[in-house]
Amino acid sequence: MTVPLGAFIAVSAVLFFLGAAGVLVRRNAVVILMCVELMLNASNLALVAFSRRAGQLGAGNPLDQRGSVFVVFVFVIAAAEVAVGLAIILAAYRNRPTVNVDELHQMKG
Amino acid sequence: MFDFLEPFFFGLFALGIIGAGAAVVTLRRITAQALLMALTFACMAGMFLLLGAETIALFQVLIYVGAITILILFGVMFTKVDDRGYGLFFQQQTPWAAAVVLVIALPVAFLALSFHDPITPSAKGGDLIPLAASLFTDYSFPFEVASVLLLAALVGAIVLVKRDDQ
Repeated sequence: MTVPLGAFIAVSAVLFFLGAAGVLVRRNAVVILMCVELMLNASNLALVAFSRRAGQLGAGNPLDQRGSVFVVFVFVIAAAEVAVGLAIILAAYRNRPTVNVDELHQMKG
Repeated sequence: MFDFLEPFFFGLFALGIIGAGAAVVTLRRITAQALLMALTFACMAGMFLLLGAETIALFQVLIYVGAITILILFGVMFTKVDDRGYGLFFQQQTPWAAAVVLVIALPVAFLALSFHDPITPSAKGGDLIPLAASLFTDYSFPFEVASVLLLAALVGAIVLVKRDDQ
């Protein structure tokens, strides 16, 4: 008895939409950054699950790890994104002490 | 004999991912949100283990549960929480947003549940050796580009948070 692929994809989809809802409705910039990380992680789960399925279908090399390689690059992008994102939030916070994105509506330095 | 273990752990990790993810979106205590995000990442590492991607699970624990959670906690410490209540949470575009999400999410859910192929564990030896072989031969150029991107992000983050008032 094994877990079907669709269950992994369903969990990934649910987490992705949770993150998207969080990005859309929350107003704290740090919380928005957290929700973006949730969405990236959900996409990682879908990539790994489909990569595993493609390796089993016999369509190619069963040792084909293209999905996992892509996930490694997503990790790199996520790390860079959270570092630069927090730096931008802190720079904006020093300029005007709020993290509410409704009040950060001007880009003047 | 232990066939029930895999669905059991899948249910456990799925519950952790969805429950902690929903708490991250809906809670208002920001430190608890950051730690629940770490719980979501840890459960996601368990999902990668179930899928047979041990190396990805290791990276997940190192990068997400370790580094990114700590960075977010630093961001929480350096900023002041504006305790505004849910007045801004339930905005007037909430029904429209819910309608759009339902229109997109329901077909995605049906499509996802249409895949019935079982996931079998990977071959012995894990995925480290094929992953490394693929990463350092076929994808060595993107690997180098990623290192340049990380260097640029490092320098950019330092420049952005550097105080220029001295």
